[in-house]
Amino acid sequence: MSAPQANGAGEARDPSGFLGEIINSPVTVKLNSGVVYKGELQSVDGYMNIALDQTREIVDGKPRRNYGDAFIRGNNVMYISADH
Amino acid sequence: MADAEDVTANPVNEPLDLVRLSLNEIVFVKLRGDRELQGRLHAYDSHCNLVLGEVEETIYVIDEDDEEETVRVRKQNYDGVSKARRIS
Amino acid sequence: MASQLLPLELIDKCVGSRIWVIMKGDKEFSGTLLGFDDFVNMVLEDVTEYDYTGTHTKLSKILLNGNNICMLIPGGMPEGGA
Repeated sequence: MSAPQANGAGEARDPSGFLGEIINSPVTVKLNSGVVYKGELQSVDGYMNIALDQTREIVDGKPRRNYGDAFIRGNNVMYISADH
Repeated sequence: MADAEDVTANPVNEPLDLVRLSLNEIVFVKLRGDRELQGRLHAYDSHCNLVLGEVEETIYVIDEDDEEETVRVRKQNYDGVSKARRIS
Repeated sequence: MASQLLPLELIDKCVGSRIWVIMKGDKEFSGTLLGFDDFVNMVLEDVTEYDYTGTHTKLSKILLNGNNICMLIPGGMPEGGA
Protein backbone atom coordinates (compact mmCIF):
# COMPACT_ATOMS: atom_id res chain seq x y z
CA MET A 1 0.00 0.00 0.00
CA SER A 2 1.81 3.11 -1.15
CA ALA A 3 1.02 6.78 -0.86
CA PRO A 4 -1.25 7.48 -3.84
CA GLN A 5 -4.74 6.38 -3.03
CA ALA A 6 -7.75 5.36 -5.02
CA ASN A 7 -9.70 8.45 -4.06
CA GLY A 8 -7.66 11.19 -5.62
CA ALA A 9 -4.21 12.69 -5.46
CA GLY A 10 -2.50 13.93 -2.33
CA GLU A 11 -5.55 13.82 -0.11
CA ALA A 12 -3.94 13.27 3.26
CA ARG A 13 -5.52 16.27 4.87
CA ASP A 14 -7.87 14.70 7.38
CA PRO A 15 -7.17 11.98 9.96
CA SER A 16 -8.23 8.98 7.87
CA GLY A 17 -6.36 10.25 4.84
CA PHE A 18 -3.23 10.73 6.90
CA LEU A 19 -3.50 7.23 8.36
CA GLY A 20 -3.91 5.75 4.89
CA GLU A 21 -0.74 7.55 3.92
CA ILE A 22 1.41 6.28 6.80
CA ILE A 23 0.12 2.73 7.12
CA ASN A 24 2.96 0.17 6.80
CA SER A 25 5.57 2.84 7.36
CA PRO A 26 7.68 3.72 10.41
CA VAL A 27 5.93 5.87 12.99
CA THR A 28 6.41 7.26 16.46
CA VAL A 29 3.54 6.91 18.90
CA LYS A 30 3.60 9.03 22.03
CA LEU A 31 1.40 8.11 24.96
CA ASN A 32 -0.06 10.49 27.50
CA SER A 33 2.38 9.05 30.04
CA GLY A 34 5.25 10.31 27.90
CA VAL A 35 6.38 6.83 26.90
CA VAL A 36 7.24 6.58 23.21
CA TYR A 37 6.84 3.60 20.90
CA LYS A 38 8.53 3.43 17.53
CA GLY A 39 7.67 0.81 14.96
CA GLU A 40 5.99 -0.02 11.72
CA LEU A 41 2.31 0.92 11.70
CA GLN A 42 0.25 -2.18 10.96
CA SER A 43 -3.18 -0.73 11.56
CA VAL A 44 -5.29 1.81 13.42
CA ASP A 45 -9.00 1.80 14.23
CA GLY A 46 -11.57 4.43 15.13
CA TYR A 47 -10.59 4.34 18.81
CA MET A 48 -6.99 5.02 17.84
CA ASN A 49 -6.06 1.53 18.95
CA ILE A 50 -2.79 0.84 17.19
CA ALA A 51 -0.97 -2.29 16.06
CA LEU A 52 2.78 -1.85 15.65
CA ASP A 53 5.40 -4.19 14.26
CA GLN A 54 9.08 -4.28 15.35
CA THR A 55 8.28 -2.05 18.27
CA ARG A 56 10.86 -0.20 20.32
CA GLU A 57 9.85 1.24 23.68
CA ILE A 58 11.51 4.49 24.73
CA VAL A 59 11.19 5.82 28.28
CA ASP A 60 12.68 9.21 29.18
CA GLY A 61 14.46 9.21 25.83
CA LYS A 62 16.21 5.92 26.56
CA PRO A 63 15.47 2.60 24.84
CA ARG A 64 13.77 0.18 27.20
CA ARG A 65 12.49 -2.94 25.51
CA ASN A 66 11.64 -4.31 22.11
CA TYR A 67 8.52 -6.17 21.11
CA GLY A 68 7.80 -8.03 17.89
CA ASP A 69 4.19 -6.94 17.75
CA ALA A 70 2.46 -4.52 20.02
CA PHE A 71 -1.16 -3.52 20.48
CA ILE A 72 -1.60 -0.07 21.99
CA ARG A 73 -4.98 0.79 23.44
CA GLY A 74 -6.17 4.04 21.89
CA ASN A 75 -7.09 5.87 25.08
CA ASN A 76 -3.39 6.14 25.94
CA VAL A 77 -2.34 7.68 22.63
CA MET A 78 -1.41 11.35 22.50
CA TYR A 79 -0.19 11.39 18.92
CA ILE A 80 1.00 9.32 15.99
CA SER A 81 3.85 10.91 14.10
CA ALA A 82 5.16 9.93 10.69
CA ASP A 83 8.90 9.17 10.74
CA HIS A 84 10.92 10.30 7.79
CA MET B 1 -12.46 15.80 2.34
CA ALA B 2 -11.94 12.10 2.32
CA ASP B 3 -14.96 9.89 2.55
CA ALA B 4 -15.80 6.68 4.33
CA GLU B 5 -14.48 4.64 1.42
CA ASP B 6 -11.06 5.35 2.81
CA VAL B 7 -11.41 2.09 4.70
CA THR B 8 -10.33 0.39 1.50
CA ALA B 9 -7.03 2.24 1.74
CA ASN B 10 -6.33 0.54 5.06
CA PRO B 11 -5.37 -3.10 5.24
CA VAL B 12 -8.13 -5.53 6.08
CA ASN B 13 -6.87 -6.08 9.57
CA GLU B 14 -7.50 -3.84 12.52
CA PRO B 15 -5.46 -3.54 15.71
CA LEU B 16 -7.66 -5.96 17.66
CA ASP B 17 -6.80 -8.66 15.12
CA LEU B 18 -3.40 -8.68 16.74
CA VAL B 19 -5.08 -9.52 20.03
CA ARG B 20 -7.17 -12.20 18.34
CA LEU B 21 -4.02 -13.77 16.92
CA SER B 22 -2.62 -13.89 20.46
CA LEU B 23 -5.46 -16.05 21.82
CA ASN B 24 -4.11 -19.04 23.75
CA GLU B 25 -0.65 -17.53 23.66
CA ILE B 26 1.39 -16.07 26.51
CA VAL B 27 0.98 -12.31 26.35
CA PHE B 28 2.69 -9.41 28.05
CA VAL B 29 0.39 -6.61 29.22
CA LYS B 30 1.59 -3.23 30.40
CA LEU B 31 -0.85 -1.58 32.79
CA ARG B 32 -1.02 1.90 34.19
CA GLY B 33 0.64 2.41 37.54
CA ASP B 34 3.87 0.54 36.79
CA ARG B 35 2.30 -2.87 36.66
CA GLU B 36 2.81 -5.63 34.17
CA LEU B 37 1.09 -8.93 33.60
CA GLN B 38 2.28 -11.99 31.85
CA GLY B 39 -0.16 -14.79 31.22
CA ARG B 40 -2.08 -16.89 28.76
CA LEU B 41 -4.78 -15.00 26.86
CA HIS B 42 -8.04 -16.91 27.03
CA ALA B 43 -10.51 -14.24 25.91
CA TYR B 44 -10.91 -10.53 25.22
CA ASP B 45 -13.57 -8.07 24.11
CA SER B 46 -13.71 -4.85 22.14
CA HIS B 47 -12.96 -2.83 25.31
CA CYS B 48 -9.79 -4.87 25.73
CA ASN B 49 -11.06 -6.57 28.83
CA LEU B 50 -8.87 -9.65 29.02
CA VAL B 51 -9.26 -13.08 30.54
CA LEU B 52 -5.83 -14.39 31.45
CA GLY B 53 -4.62 -17.62 33.00
CA GLU B 54 -1.33 -18.64 34.62
CA VAL B 55 -0.76 -15.00 35.43
CA GLU B 56 2.31 -13.42 36.90
CA GLU B 57 1.90 -9.81 37.97
CA THR B 58 4.93 -7.54 38.28
CA ILE B 59 4.66 -4.37 40.34
CA TYR B 60 7.42 -1.77 40.31
CA VAL B 61 7.58 0.20 43.55
CA ILE B 62 10.03 2.99 44.27
CA ASP B 63 11.73 2.57 47.63
CA GLU B 64 12.76 5.84 49.16
CA ASP B 65 14.00 4.56 52.50
CA ASP B 66 17.64 5.16 51.60
CA GLU B 67 19.09 8.21 49.89
CA GLU B 68 19.12 6.63 46.47
CA GLU B 69 15.85 5.55 45.00
CA THR B 70 15.71 1.87 44.27
CA VAL B 71 13.09 0.08 42.30
CA ARG B 72 11.63 -2.89 44.07
CA VAL B 73 10.02 -5.53 41.95
CA ARG B 74 7.26 -7.61 43.41
CA LYS B 75 6.06 -10.63 41.52
CA GLN B 76 2.78 -12.23 42.33
CA ASN B 77 1.44 -15.39 40.83
CA TYR B 78 -2.13 -16.46 40.52
CA ASP B 79 -1.51 -19.43 42.78
CA GLY B 80 -0.52 -17.11 45.60
CA VAL B 81 3.23 -17.67 45.39
CA SER B 82 4.84 -14.27 45.68
CA LYS B 83 8.45 -13.28 45.35
CA ALA B 84 10.22 -10.01 45.91
CA ARG B 85 13.39 -8.87 44.24
CA ARG B 86 15.38 -5.68 44.18
CA ILE B 87 16.91 -4.13 41.11
CA SER B 88 19.31 -1.21 40.53
CA MET C 1 -29.31 38.85 12.55
CA ALA C 2 -25.63 38.28 12.53
CA SER C 3 -24.82 34.78 11.35
CA GLN C 4 -23.31 32.80 14.16
CA LEU C 5 -20.01 31.03 13.68
CA LEU C 6 -19.98 27.61 15.27
CA PRO C 7 -16.79 26.59 17.10
CA LEU C 8 -15.91 23.88 14.60
CA GLU C 9 -16.52 26.29 11.72
CA LEU C 10 -13.88 28.52 13.21
CA ILE C 11 -11.47 25.60 13.22
CA ASP C 12 -12.46 24.74 9.66
CA LYS C 13 -11.37 28.25 8.66
CA CYS C 14 -7.95 27.45 10.10
CA VAL C 15 -7.29 24.54 7.76
CA GLY C 16 -4.10 25.35 5.90
CA SER C 17 -2.88 27.87 8.47
CA ARG C 18 -0.83 27.77 11.63
CA ILE C 19 -2.63 26.85 14.79
CA TRP C 20 -1.67 26.68 18.44
CA VAL C 21 -3.01 23.76 20.44
CA ILE C 22 -3.08 23.83 24.23
CA MET C 23 -3.59 20.45 25.82
CA LYS C 24 -5.02 19.53 29.18
CA GLY C 25 -2.05 19.43 31.47
CA ASP C 26 1.06 21.30 30.48
CA LYS C 27 1.71 20.42 26.89
CA GLU C 28 1.29 22.55 23.79
CA PHE C 29 1.65 22.06 20.06
CA SER C 30 2.07 24.53 17.24
CA GLY C 31 1.76 23.56 13.60
CA THR C 32 -0.05 23.88 10.29
CA LEU C 33 -3.55 22.40 10.45
CA LEU C 34 -4.13 20.02 7.57
CA GLY C 35 -7.43 18.60 8.74
CA PHE C 36 -9.53 17.32 11.61
CA ASP C 37 -12.53 15.10 12.30
CA ASP C 38 -15.65 15.25 14.48
CA PHE C 39 -13.65 14.31 17.59
CA VAL C 40 -11.24 17.16 16.83
CA ASN C 41 -8.44 14.71 16.24
CA MET C 42 -6.16 16.85 14.11
CA VAL C 43 -3.54 16.33 11.44
CA LEU C 44 -0.73 18.86 11.90
CA GLU C 45 2.34 19.54 9.81
CA ASP C 46 5.69 21.16 10.70
CA VAL C 47 4.86 20.73 14.35
CA THR C 48 6.68 21.87 17.43
CA GLU C 49 5.80 20.06 20.65
CA TYR C 50 6.33 22.11 23.80
CA ASP C 51 7.01 20.28 27.02
CA TYR C 52 6.54 21.58 30.53
CA THR C 53 10.33 21.59 30.85
CA GLY C 54 10.56 24.03 27.96
CA THR C 55 11.93 21.34 25.66
CA HIS C 56 10.65 21.62 22.15
CA THR C 57 10.51 18.75 19.73
CA LYS C 58 10.06 19.11 15.98
CA LEU C 59 7.72 16.68 14.24
CA SER C 60 7.03 16.69 10.53
CA LYS C 61 3.47 15.38 10.45
CA ILE C 62 1.30 14.04 13.24
CA LEU C 63 -2.19 12.85 14.06
CA LEU C 64 -2.98 14.43 17.41
CA ASN C 65 -5.59 12.70 19.56
CA GLY C 66 -8.42 15.15 20.26
CA ASN C 67 -9.13 13.66 23.65
CA ASN C 68 -6.71 15.84 25.59
CA ILE C 69 -7.06 19.04 23.61
CA CYS C 70 -8.13 21.97 25.74
CA MET C 71 -7.93 25.06 23.54
CA LEU C 72 -7.16 25.99 19.95
CA ILE C 73 -5.77 29.35 18.95
CA PRO C 74 -5.64 30.29 15.27
CA GLY C 75 -2.39 31.83 14.07
CA GLY C 76 0.10 29.60 15.86
CA MET C 77 2.26 30.43 18.83
CA PRO C 78 3.17 34.06 19.50
CA GLU C 79 6.79 35.14 19.05
CA GLY C 80 9.17 33.80 21.65
CA GLY C 81 6.56 31.47 23.03
CA ALA C 82 7.44 28.78 25.58
